[in-house]
Formats: sequence, C-alpha cells, structure tokens
Amino acid sequence: MASSHSNTHTEAAKLEQIITEFFYKSLLIILESRSPYVSSRNYSGEQIMSSPSSSSSSSSGVRPRDKWFNLALRECPSALENFDLCRQSNFEPVVVDVILEQKQLDWDPVTFSPKSDLVKHSSSKDKNSFFWNSDQEESGCEAKGEKVIERWFVQHESRKGRDCSSGSRRSSSNNLSALYKKLILLLRSLYVTVRLLPAYKIFRDLNSSGQIRAFKLVPRVSSSVESFTQKEEAEMQRFWFTPVDTSCGRLCLSVLYRSSISDISSESSTPMSPQFIPDYVGSPLTDPLRRFPSLPVSQGSPSSLPFSRRHSWSFDRYKASPPSVSFSPSPTHSESHALVSNPSSRRAPPMSLPPHPPGASLPHKKNTNFDEYWPSPNFSASPSPSPSPSPSPSPPIRIPGGHLSKALLRSESAPVNIPVRKLAGSPALSCKQNLPPSPPLKISRADISWTDNNMGPMKSGATIEKLFSFGKGDGQKYSGVNSPRTSFFRSSSRSIQDDFDDSEVPCPFDVEYDDMDPGSRPESYDRRGNPSDPNEAGLFMNRKSQDAAVGALVQMLKKAPPLRQDIPSSINFSEASRPEMWNNNIQEQNQNTEAVTVEHDASSIITSSRLVASMTTADALEELRSYKEMKNLLLSDDGKS
Amino acid sequence: MNCEVCQLKELEVEHFEIREVLRCILHTIVFHRALGLVRPKDVDLELFEITYVQCGDVELEKKIDEKIDHFISWVEKHPNKKSQICLSFYEVKSKQPSWFTNKTERLYWEQWYVNLNVTQHPKHHSSKSHHTKLVVDPGESATEERSCRRAMVEASLREVLFQIIKFVNEKKDHVPPISEGVIYFPYEITIPSSSDSAFGMDMIKRMLHSGHPTMLS
Repeated sequence: MASSHSNTHTEAAKLEQIITEFFYKSLLIILESRSPYVSSRNYSGEQIMSSPSSSSSSSSGVRPRDKWFNLALRECPSALENFDLCRQSNFEPVVVDVILEQKQLDWDPVTFSPKSDLVKHSSSKDKNSFFWNSDQEESGCEAKGEKVIERWFVQHESRKGRDCSSGSRRSSSNNLSALYKKLILLLRSLYVTVRLLPAYKIFRDLNSSGQIRAFKLVPRVSSSVESFTQKEEAEMQRFWFTPVDTSCGRLCLSVLYRSSISDISSESSTPMSPQFIPDYVGSPLTDPLRRFPSLPVSQGSPSSLPFSRRHSWSFDRYKASPPSVSFSPSPTHSESHALVSNPSSRRAPPMSLPPHPPGASLPHKKNTNFDEYWPSPNFSASPSPSPSPSPSPSPPIRIPGGHLSKALLRSESAPVNIPVRKLAGSPALSCKQNLPPSPPLKISRADISWTDNNMGPMKSGATIEKLFSFGKGDGQKYSGVNSPRTSFFRSSSRSIQDDFDDSEVPCPFDVEYDDMDPGSRPESYDRRGNPSDPNEAGLFMNRKSQDAAVGALVQMLKKAPPLRQDIPSSINFSEASRPEMWNNNIQEQNQNTEAVTVEHDASSIITSSRLVASMTTADALEELRSYKEMKNLLLSDDGKS
Repeated sequence: MNCEVCQLKELEVEHFEIREVLRCILHTIVFHRALGLVRPKDVDLELFEITYVQCGDVELEKKIDEKIDHFISWVEKHPNKKSQICLSFYEVKSKQPSWFTNKTERLYWEQWYVNLNVTQHPKHHSSKSHHTKLVVDPGESATEERSCRRAMVEASLREVLFQIIKFVNEKKDHVPPISEGVIYFPYEITIPSSSDSAFGMDMIKRMLHSGHPTMLS
C-alpha cells in the first residue's frame, strides 16, 4: 500500500502537483459535462455531432493525464487553458458558473449548430475571467436572458501561518497516498454528481441531436465572481463535497445549484428539421471542402434565391433541350463504370466531354475510375481545326474551363482562361466531326444530375483530395466540374429517358453543369447561344446571372491563397499520373496517340496556369507568355489539322 | 478494519423497474469503489431521466446483470415482499487460519444494502379502472397517475444516488489502499436466496467475519 510515487520529488512538490492536477481534473469533469458537444457522452471514438470544434480526438489510448486519479476523460482544450490560469493563480479558488442562456431562435441556417453560438460576454471587470465555449468565439451581442444555474467552487484553503513545507515534514508518503486516494474518491463522486444535478438534463437535451433549443449552456470559468444576491442564493441549493485535508490546508469542492430549472429546459424546443440542411448544402463550418462552387454565387447575389434561380435555369435548360436526355438523377459512380463498359455508339458524348483536367476531376471522385477518363482521350484526339473560340462562350471551354476557371480565379487574369478555352473549344468541334453526334441533350442532362453528384462525390471529396494531395481550393473548384462529368457518363450508359424526371430538374445545381456539356456539343452550344461573357466562359458560371457570376468570382478570389499551398503536388499529379491514365484509356479506346499528346499539353497548360497564382507577378507574366506561345502553337496545329 | 455499512433508502418500484433501478444503484456504488484506472461510461436510464456512471468493465456489468436476474426471479417467487440486496466489498487476507475458516478469508470493509419494495400496484389498479369505474377517461387518469408515480420513483432514486455520494464523501478512511492494477475492489452481491434463513445465516456469518457493522442511515 505504499504510495506508488517515486521519492524523487519532495513531498511538498508532489503535494503541489497533486493539488494542481486535482484542480484540472475537477475542472475537466465539470466543463465536460456542461459543454455540449465535448462530452464523454459522445465518446465512441469519433467526435460528436460534426462539431468542428470538438476537440481532440482519440478517446482511446491512455494519455498521461488520464492516469491522474485513475480517471480517463476526454481532453478538453478549454479546460486546459483554464487550467493554466489556475496554475498561475497559485491555487486561487476557481469558480465555474454554468449559465443558461435564452436565445433567439433566429438560427443561422448555414451554421445551424447551437454550438456556434457565442458566449456572451458579460461585462466582467475581472480580467482573469474568461469564457469558455467550444468555438472559442465571442460575440458582442447581448444575451437575452442569462441565468446562472450552477456555480462550482474548487479551492484549496491553506492553513494560515503554516506553509506547505512545514506540513510536509510531518507527512509521510503514506499520507500522500492516502490523500491521493481520497481525491480519487472525491473526483469519482464529483463525476457522478455532475450527472445527477438538474443542469445535466439540459446538457443532455442540448446534446441530443434532434432538437434546436432556445437556450444553451455556457460554462464560464473565473477566479472570482459576483456573489449572488440573497434572493438568488435562496433559490439555490448547495452541495458540499467533504473537504479533503492536505498537509497544508484542505481541498474544497462545492456547488450551488438551482433545483428548479426543469421548466426552462422543457419549455421551448424547436424541431430542427426545417433548418437542417448542412449535410446537403454543406455548411462551410461543417466542412469547407464541401462548399459548392456554385454557392459563392448565392453570396454574391443579394437574395437568398440562388437556389430557386438555379432551379429555374436548369429547368429552362431542360425544356430547351430535348428530353432525350437519359440522365439518371441519382448518379452513382458505379454507374459511370457501367457506361464505360458499354460504350456503344453513345460514346460520343463522353468524348465530347472535355478532357477534364486530370487534377480537377480526380479529387472529387470517390473511386476514381480510369474508365471515366477515357472520354478525354477522344477529346484530345480531336485536334480538329476549329480552334475557333468563337464568341460562343462557353461550351467548348467548359471542360477545360473547369481547370481554367480555377486558374483564372487564382490569377484573376482572364487571359489565361482564354487560351484554354480555345483549346477546349477545339476538342468540342472535333468531337462533332469525328464522333457520332450524340444528342446534345444528354449533355445538358449531366447538369441535372449534377446535384446528386455533388452530394455523393463531394462528401467524399475531401478524402480524395487528400489522396491526390490537391489543394482544398482546387478540390472545391474541381468538384463542380467533376460531378457533371460523372453524371454524364451515367446518362450515356443508361440512356433512359425516363430517368429524367421533372423532379430531378429542380436540383439547384444542375444549371452549372450545362456549361460543360455545351462544350462538348457544338450544337448545343449554338443553341445556348446566349451566352455568357466569353471571359467568364471558362467558369461554369456563364449561365448564371451576372451578379451571380461576380459573386462567384469574388468568392473564388477570396479562397485563392489556400489553394496555392498545394499547387506543386497537384501539378505533379496532373503531369505525371494523368498522362498514364490517359494512355490506358487510349489503349482501351484505340484512340490515336496524337490525341493523347494534345491532351497532355492542354493539361499542362492548365496546371501551369494554376501555378501562376502562386508565383510572383513577374513570374506569372513570364509563364503566361510562354503558355500563350504554347497555346498559339497548339491552336495553329489544330487549325492545320 | 471497520466495516462501514450503508442502508440505502427503501425504494418502491414496480417489477419492470427493478432491473434499471438496481443497475443504476449497483453500478454507481461500484464506480465509487473502482479506484483503478477507469474510463467512465455514462448510461441513461430508459425509464427515468437519470444518468448513472459505469466504470466500463464488461465483466462487472455481466456479473451485476446476472445477480439482478437472480433477484428478479426471486422476486417473482416471493411477490409483495420487501427485499434487500447487499453489495459488499472485502479484502482477501491470507492470514493464519482461524477456527472459522481456511487460509484465506474475506475481510469485509463495506456493505451497502439496497432496499426494494416491489409492488404490483399499478397493474391491478389500471385493470380496475378499466373495468369497473365509470369510464370518464380511464386512459388519461391512468396515464397521469403513472407519470406522477414515475416521477416519484425517479426522485427517490435520485435521492438514493445522492445518499451514495454522501456516504462516499463522508467515509473515506476505511477504504483500503489502492493496489496497482486492480480496477475495483473485490465485491460480492448477495440477494435473498430461496430460503430466507440461509440469507440470514449469511449475514450473521459476514458479521462475524467483519466485526460489528456500524449501522448508519
């Protein structure tokens, strides 16, 4: 029964450490059970509720701190911070107020998570006080109603006139281990108690995912607080944990709590269903990668109508384009495989598809199939003469556009795009000539299915991106391009007209994909004709309203910096791996090698344009110039052929 | 070593509540006596708005459930009887053989008595109201009564849990030192056996072993 502690430290030092750790552990226990989304309740390994802030990690494995008091808890970063303060304050009493805040129900639809709510800054004069909240954010807005429902005190009462060292002289290691055992017991009972107090019910409610509550719990840690008024105090009950004597004082733990808060917790709860969009819309908070390229538009456009607008667009398209479209709304990647396997005469459409920049498409696909790339070879094959980047905006560009658009966004310079466009355009033309005319509609269909694709692929997108080491930004931008393509294949393979239901049309994001298709089909291109500004042609936005496009552009620009980081890797990928894939495809398809080459060039251009962003202006210009040269060269080649 | 005894407040429960209530109480006690490294596991009761803590040991959980099963079947054979479950913690000492036992003996240092009064009240009542009474709103009044009763059970269960916490806080000195690698102290759960006398004998025996228990409550 001797203490397991080594004797390397003096008793006093050990004691001090034990007390320190006790402070920390008790804080942790309290905070963890009062801070929704960080609790051990959800601790089956994964973080709870998609809350980004929820901390760390692994619940498995024993961390050094877990061994203290033999109580393994989740780490709680905020508790740690607070703990540091405690330590600095040399065992000053620590007070944790658990505050129940009523809040308005005007949720931010995007954010939606209650957690995102900020801690109200109560104007506390106490400099030492700080607020704990999971987001580590603070908002200036006033809390509507704040009510302290619990006040925890953790403190070490030193005996006056005697310092620890004198106490320690008398203490044996046995005393120390006895103390430690008692503190373990105390913490066990604290752990159970926090779950029995009324506030825990609120915590539980907040933590249950089904409801949005009109209130929240905010633990606030400080070293001193205003004392309650008598009236307030009268409403509260106190529970004292039995103090544990140390050699130089005693550790005290107590709580003042309101016994009647159940009415509050049960009073207002709002079903969250209407607002619960994050999974589909991809709230930026939840996962930035999931933000759709199109989303920016919505920001740009003042109204919240973007979705509906898109719908209408897609719808129009749909009308405009013959129903021939065989899009299956719910795109599955596997479906795309099917297409490939049955590349009948239908193939044309795929071919028409612009060669997606390798990088672009890959990131979003869950399971990238080489098959999917096969179309691109065709594309390259089509070094058809019509480099004519006719004013017709986009379609041709579309495919390349995806890449280009990225590049553009980054560099912000239109010029880069233009060249690309031409390239893209040529393929489209070639397709027309070489390939059997596939129904233009199909292409447009791709748009429709887009939405679906987004959901699936985009979610997985993050992972894929990592695999390919693409920049996040790239991933985002690419995602748009990507998904359409996938759908396209699908549609071609299936060629089921029925699939195309009106119901599918509504997909908000369909519109954007149209652009891609257009590229592949000259005809469709003409039809669309309207077009959008050539400069933007590269972007998928051409179909969108101008403000939308501007908004999107702005958004993209904002995002540009992060993208740069990963550029090198993406380049490598595109240059190295891509060609191989292409080759494979080509072989399968019996495409001519030339096509491959062309393709390669195109892709490299694209990548290089991406690079530009990360360089200095001078470098960028330099490079740009070289690319232009290349472009011209290519174009001229095309023209000859 | 003293044997501390804690008599928990009697709970009036219905048959279907026995399992949850006992789990909650027994696990809460053992959690306070599991002084080895534990990773606590929160468990929400289904019948009551109460969360208790387990120490996350599968074997322990199994053993407790087994005992509860036994207890429930005992209750079924002895309806309308107050019953007591004893959770005891002991140390194993291999001392000189006493005249009473062999080499090893169990030194009980703590005993918890869980007192249950299992009723079937609600069943009878509800059937009565259905068949005999003027049917005003049998369903509603029954429901109301039920939820009211449930709230009372919940409150008293909570009270029992606080009783445990207080006891743990107040009595710390008798708890044996923690031995390395042992998650919880050895324990045993005694339920009334088929013959009450045997149960009584068991108690007497235990008293002899552990000295005079102090009754608190």
